[in-house]
Amino acid sequence: MARRERWQQLPPGMRDLLADESARARAVTGRILSCMRRWGYREVVTPTIEYFDTLVRGEGTEAGDRLFKLVDRGGELLALRPEMTTPVARLVTTHLRGRPLPLRLAYAGQVFRGSETGSGRLREFPQVGCELIGADTLEADAEIVALAVDALAASGAAECSVSLGHVGFLRGMLEGLGLPEEGALEARALLYQKDFVGLRAVLDRAGAPAARGEALTALPGLRGPQAIREARRLADTAESRRVLRDLETLIGILETYGVGGGVKVDLSIIRDFDYYTGIVFEGHTAALGFPLLGGGRYDRLFEGFGAPHAATGFAVRVDRALAASAGGDGGGEAPDVAVAFADGARGEALRLARSLRQQDLSVTVEILGRPWDEVARGALAAGAPRAVLVTGSRAVVREADGRERSAALADLLRGGPGHGGGPCPS
Amino acid sequence: MPLVTVAVASGRLLDDSMRTLEAAGYLTAAAWRSTRRLILPCREPDVRVLIAKPGDLLTYVEHGAADLGIAGKDVLLEQGRDVYELVDLGFGACRGVVAFPEARAAEWESLSPIRIATKYPRVTERHFWGQGRPVEIIELRGTVELAPQVGLADGILDLVMTGRTLAANHLVEVAEVFRSTARLVVNRMSLRTRAEAVQAVVERMRAAAAARDPSSV
Repeated sequence: MARRERWQQLPPGMRDLLADESARARAVTGRILSCMRRWGYREVVTPTIEYFDTLVRGEGTEAGDRLFKLVDRGGELLALRPEMTTPVARLVTTHLRGRPLPLRLAYAGQVFRGSETGSGRLREFPQVGCELIGADTLEADAEIVALAVDALAASGAAECSVSLGHVGFLRGMLEGLGLPEEGALEARALLYQKDFVGLRAVLDRAGAPAARGEALTALPGLRGPQAIREARRLADTAESRRVLRDLETLIGILETYGVGGGVKVDLSIIRDFDYYTGIVFEGHTAALGFPLLGGGRYDRLFEGFGAPHAATGFAVRVDRALAASAGGDGGGEAPDVAVAFADGARGEALRLARSLRQQDLSVTVEILGRPWDEVARGALAAGAPRAVLVTGSRAVVREADGRERSAALADLLRGGPGHGGGPCPS
Repeated sequence: MPLVTVAVASGRLLDDSMRTLEAAGYLTAAAWRSTRRLILPCREPDVRVLIAKPGDLLTYVEHGAADLGIAGKDVLLEQGRDVYELVDLGFGACRGVVAFPEARAAEWESLSPIRIATKYPRVTERHFWGQGRPVEIIELRGTVELAPQVGLADGILDLVMTGRTLAANHLVEVAEVFRSTARLVVNRMSLRTRAEAVQAVVERMRAAAAARDPSSV
């Protein structure tokens, strides 16, 4: 067996994108950003690397373990951003300090998770997302959820829907149990791990009333049209009841937005309690075992940056959106036109190439001096719709079906028959 | 394509898993006893059962290649996957323990660092870190009991059911780390995108497990 050289491999969790996939990723990212722009969200760009302290300030000290870290020349600890919300919060509380609120910001970029290992988990992946900062209203929650539905549709992933929950419901239920502090922490941790068997055991051990234990462990079934009514039966704290009222109002607003059909209440959604403070939601598609969108309200994050802004937002995982969409818009790896030229016709050929490029077609010009037939066969076999041999004031056009015809160069330059009508890559 | 896929681990949990699926009305005895197939059709056309290696089972469920799975708590603890753990099915009971050679059991408290051979490196790390004890972990695939006898490790962290294997290898239990039974786990998206069909399987499995072993669930 040949020795496996390290340079031929990628570090675990890293990926290359070839032309087709890269084009699709860029198209998806572009469509989602355009969608956000139409809702008034302007794109900002932050650096890949931040101070470790900045990131930990936003994400909590435990998050420090899963960061990709590096040491700067002066010995300062740096880290690659694991998501974009914290860098955006830093940007908002520095560059944009004092700006009128609310702020609507969007971003697209690569994020990094140092500790993800095994089972094909990526340690670098692309995210597109948005943040709505400085609004704590249900109107703001509704806008961000409606935009999430829109962004999912723009991503091209098939049959998407959004599940909407609220961390306050779970928190209220847990508090209602009146567990001693240690038990409460353990119960929270188990809930976060989605270990309902363990949760039930802790509640029983702590002497929580059986009915309440029952209610909490029934959570994974609380979804769909009946969820709120069902939950109201279980909710016995003021906090939980307030949350349910809010969710009901929110669903009402979303129906007015016209996206009610794409949003389902799902109180079993469990995302990081310490980070989220209100609604939480996930976007998913039947084709994928992971959510491709996640978000919610995070009113406490900004406290770490000295500005008590309420905020809500979400991010789309572009790689998962790609995996869940049918392909198609990649444009392939072949050019739209392959141009070759006869001796002495370089000037005409380059003029044609320039003209076609101005029409937004991708054009390659033969640079190896191969015979026309070889160039044309190669290009058509790779998927190019046509090849052109420029002989001077005239040219030979070979179509995908192999037929050749002669055309005046002047016609081709004007985008005449056979050109300009081709598929224009979006 | 069937709507709901249930993954079952080959190995020590296989028979009880199949019996529970049988009791829940999904499989006939003939369907699983007399076949080498890895994907078994069920009595209901919208459910199928697949058989995976115990170590791979949670990968199928986490990625959504299977909607539900039957996994030992030991594997759940070791792999820490992002799945919903919904039902204690009660069977496959065993314990994770630290065991030492009889002759050296007295040293267990004082050894530092302690060298532990195990199939559960993450559980071992968490356990000893939690106690603030430095540990050197030697990861093995099986027959962990061998390691202390040939000087590869001081002790082991492994599953015990009856304790006979420990005794046969002159090992004694010095600490219990966890208790394990089979658990019904569910992919986090399946709970949403195929809620009704998946929830139906969960409830029927819960009822079947309770009927077989009323102390579980």
